[in-house]
Amino acid sequence: MREFKERIGTRSFVLFSLLGPILVLAVIYLLFTMGGSHKQEWKVLVSDSKGILENRIMLDEDVSIQYDFVDAVLEIEDFRDGKRYQKYDAMLDVNEKVISNKTAFVFYRNEPSVRMQTMVKYQYERRLEEIMVEETSNLSIKDYLKIKQPLNVSFKNVYDPNDEASDLRGWVGFTYGTMIFAFIFLFGMTILRSVSKEKSSRIVEVVLASVKPNQMLTGKLIGIGLSAFIQFFIWIVVIGLGLYLMRETLFPDMLDPANMSAANLSVGDESYQERYFTVKEYNEFVNLIYERIQFFAQTGYFIMFFLAGYMFYGALFAAVGATMGSESDGQQFIIPLIFLLCFALFAGYNFMNNPESDLSAVLHYLPFTSPVVVMVKLAQGYEPGHAYELWLAFIILLISSFIMLAIASRLYKNGILQFGHRLRLRHMLKWLRKT
Amino acid sequence: MLDVKDISKSFYRKEALKDVSIHVNKGEIFGLLGPNGAGKTTLIRIINRIVEQDSGVIRFNGDLMTEKNLLEIGYLPEERGLYRSMTVEAHAIFLGRLKGLSKHDVKTKIDYWFDRFGINEWRKKRIEELSKGMAQKVQFICTILHEPKLLILDEPFSGFDPVNVELIKQTLIEMRADGRTIILSTHNMKSVEEICDRAALINNAVKVAEGRVSTLQEERKMGLYSVRFRGSMIAFVNALWTGFEVVDKDILGDDRFVVRLRMRNESSFEDLLKVLIGQVQIEAAWEVLPSMQDVFMDLVKPREEVSDAE
Repeated sequence: MREFKERIGTRSFVLFSLLGPILVLAVIYLLFTMGGSHKQEWKVLVSDSKGILENRIMLDEDVSIQYDFVDAVLEIEDFRDGKRYQKYDAMLDVNEKVISNKTAFVFYRNEPSVRMQTMVKYQYERRLEEIMVEETSNLSIKDYLKIKQPLNVSFKNVYDPNDEASDLRGWVGFTYGTMIFAFIFLFGMTILRSVSKEKSSRIVEVVLASVKPNQMLTGKLIGIGLSAFIQFFIWIVVIGLGLYLMRETLFPDMLDPANMSAANLSVGDESYQERYFTVKEYNEFVNLIYERIQFFAQTGYFIMFFLAGYMFYGALFAAVGATMGSESDGQQFIIPLIFLLCFALFAGYNFMNNPESDLSAVLHYLPFTSPVVVMVKLAQGYEPGHAYELWLAFIILLISSFIMLAIASRLYKNGILQFGHRLRLRHMLKWLRKT
Repeated sequence: MLDVKDISKSFYRKEALKDVSIHVNKGEIFGLLGPNGAGKTTLIRIINRIVEQDSGVIRFNGDLMTEKNLLEIGYLPEERGLYRSMTVEAHAIFLGRLKGLSKHDVKTKIDYWFDRFGINEWRKKRIEELSKGMAQKVQFICTILHEPKLLILDEPFSGFDPVNVELIKQTLIEMRADGRTIILSTHNMKSVEEICDRAALINNAVKVAEGRVSTLQEERKMGLYSVRFRGSMIAFVNALWTGFEVVDKDILGDDRFVVRLRMRNESSFEDLLKVLIGQVQIEAAWEVLPSMQDVFMDLVKPREEVSDAE
């Protein structure tokens, strides 16, 4: 209880609880807006001395790019320094051999966005195609574009044609698993620090004169765990609420099917191709966030594995904290602990890529790695009739965490009143044997 | 009140306590003495059930001691600390609640004791803002907050200035008058003489002596007497006949001396006074009892590591 109050009461707890999810929301917002808007406007002077383009680039006017034509050879210096050219952002140099050598230059004043570069290139290329088609074939432009339209080849799993177990979903699971481990590590370190602080400030002896070491250890785990859980809950609520509000206010048209498919964009639309790709990528992300992740189911299992995983690792951290001779002693033990956590994350990543391998099967049940691996597997989906695998992994984790708790409390009991020694593995073994 | 019987404890190959028994009566201040590493702290930890004994029993008020009895004990360890980020008041509440006080009781007691020790204005201060002496005061108050029947203090005076040492001594004496029992483990022999009723001395994991403080001193008296007088030293020595032997003397100035002597043959204290009367002006004469410091040194003599004993 003391732990709980002390954690909840701190300013950093409140800050981290609120700012954390807001930061996550901000990142999501940025990803959304980057996928949706393109606002840069450009004035381009086309230097076309041979009149190849016939003073025209596009059939319709594009609002974001305005082309003016000059039928003379314009040197770069003239364009750069000439007063009358200052209003232009860039000069498109149409050299006479462009049709054959397919080389063009655009001289800009301020570097354009990638989107702007793509658009200029795209529009110039279309215009040249138009001219070439006219000169070299009998096709209409529409027919030509139909022929030219790229082929989209999707690779689908025969057992999962709707792509439910897509890589992206695996990533969502991995993100969940990473969150579990981020929180476990964060609060595990809190446990470790708290135990070693109690030890080095010697308050522990006073407290131990009133409660048993086991009670103290359990109280610490519950107190810190509860504050971790509350923080986590705040995260979930704020992110969930934020996503909902964003959908309702900032991006109301996001789920409008009209915006989602490329089908309604006419082939003749000049920026068709470019927009096609943007919309496709953009919608995959939106779709993933709002449609494909089963937040509720996943969050439920998430909580289960979070709690059990926390207990498992928390007990481990507490045991290390209790057996340390001095606070600095713990530093060297943090490295193997970090290594262990990294290994768990690697296991999740490995599982995402090779879900069928033998190693993956082992990692799925290993209590050190199961919280993250199961999250990935859960996101990818269990095959029908294989849900028991999840529960088996959970039960193994749960039993292991109780065993870990027993080991930790023994280490805790025997180590907590030993001061000033150098922590060695043989101490730990000795304390383990001692009842 | 507390009956410790045949307690043994070893840590791996090292024996920390060997068949140690002590008996502490209700309403007394009991001194637990011994050089560093003798096993005092281990014994105290066993009484507090922090460490488990290998063998032996402890009775509390006649019954085997249980977890419940811990609520009636207040313990101030030698190596003591506080949660540095908590406020003084929150800390007192936390420890008071741990010892089973209700929320209301803990507030009342805090009001009383904080007032008594004059630390009311520190209430909202964090422990880390306090000086070492201030923190020790807080620790002491937290220990006695629940007004335990048995108070176990390990080196309670270390780190305190003389004013606060006096304040704590007075508090302990009052608590004794109130019927509470106090076990005091200390190296400060002067305070043992001043406030302890009985004492036990542990050396090398074994109890070497236990009894009333005055008895312990009596048992080790060396037949020495002191006389403080005004007059001539030569007249004083001449007055003594073969029945007395001068051990040493202090010159106080203004023709005043303190002389320590030992009786020879069958001479008694009265004989001494008789031969001196009329020869010098006697101001005081008394039998010299060994200080607890001397008793301590005498008992642990075989060991060489007594340098830490004050």
